[in-house]
Amino acid sequence: MRVFTAVIAIAVGLMVLLGYFFAGFVGIQTLLLNWAIILAGVASLVGIFNLIAVHTDKIRRAEKGSVYSALLVIALVATFVFGLILQPQHQIMQVILNGIILPVEATLMGLLTITLLYAAIRLLRRRADVMSIFFIITAVLIFLGSATLPTGDVPIVGTLIRPWVSQIWALGGARGILIGVALGTLVTGLRVLFGIDRPYGGK
Amino acid sequence: MQISLDLITGVLSFLFTLLILSYLIGDNPLFRIAIYLFVGITAGYVASVIWWQVLTPRLFSPTIPALFAGSMIERAIIIVPWLGAVFILMKISPRLSKIASITMAFLVGAGAAVIIAGALIGTIIPQVSASINFFDPRLAAARNIDLLEVMGNGAIVLVGVVTTLSYFHFGARPQTNGNPRRFVLIEFFAFIGRIFIGITLGVIFAGVYAAALTAFIERISSLINFFGIF
Repeated sequence: MRVFTAVIAIAVGLMVLLGYFFAGFVGIQTLLLNWAIILAGVASLVGIFNLIAVHTDKIRRAEKGSVYSALLVIALVATFVFGLILQPQHQIMQVILNGIILPVEATLMGLLTITLLYAAIRLLRRRADVMSIFFIITAVLIFLGSATLPTGDVPIVGTLIRPWVSQIWALGGARGILIGVALGTLVTGLRVLFGIDRPYGGK
Repeated sequence: MQISLDLITGVLSFLFTLLILSYLIGDNPLFRIAIYLFVGITAGYVASVIWWQVLTPRLFSPTIPALFAGSMIERAIIIVPWLGAVFILMKISPRLSKIASITMAFLVGAGAAVIIAGALIGTIIPQVSASINFFDPRLAAARNIDLLEVMGNGAIVLVGVVTTLSYFHFGARPQTNGNPRRFVLIEFFAFIGRIFIGITLGVIFAGVYAAALTAFIERISSLINFFGIF
């Protein structure tokens, strides 16, 4: 089974990869990616089922916080059943989306205002090294440069320093981080294609 | 009396915003209720979206026509994802979960190929090209920018890219006392890289903070507007 799954992963990976570079493989690449989208959808449903199973188990064992788990399961099943019957575009489903999901996401994003500020203060208190000092100085400069006073932009900082720091200095670091992440991703993908890493099971 | 859907949306939005904002006074049961409901509702909503917008058009709808009126190839094309779906459903049972690894291998293989192509075509080549283009005098002339200014800025970006990458180079050799240490030049580049990373994270932090602040103000404004309705 281990060899069989490795052969499947390598063969599928190579055919999809060849589709990016040779026109002759585009048809098979499209077919395989279409299957992958379907299977990823089924896998997501299995994941959601696992969420229900974990919380149902908590309710059955009457663990601490099982009331919250009961709320989660009821809300999940009810929304899914409504979604199956009405479809996601229905007005009632849009009420759920615009009345609960989006406001909660926006409010959680808003709460970041407090937690980020707290984290920045803790960073300076715990680790005052060269990186954190430049981090704080840059953040303060960007805030000052972005602030609009009644008289207009803060002179020099808003018109000269902020654009220079954010568009040139930060660009160098961001590009280095992006290329580093991409190189890491590339190597991880190649390790899977060569069968060195087998996250689907086996050594 | 018919209650409008807009009013229900407004009341729900108001209620959930208040429950989430209650976290400002500390972790409390109201916040937890809101979060657990949010997770449940979002998971249910996502599941219904997957059902109607992924599985129905790509799997359920084409199955009957392909099985009863399609050619052998069309039948095979529709049977394979059904088989994969059945295999992946085996993951629910601990006894049969090994069979699911066939589908997982398929997904991992396809995913690995997509991320390799994405990293190469979508990030490495464009980012390296953009760094090189800073030193192209024709591009500077076409954009009517002073060559010296472009070269100076290009040099800063190039130093930033190289030193940031050096910071993430963890290859080290053992010293005489046994402790691993990086090559001196790499160590120096990594130090400069720390400065560039600090600046970059500072700019990202400021951007995220500004976005979070905007969201916070929008939520407070929605609470005030809700009271304005009455």
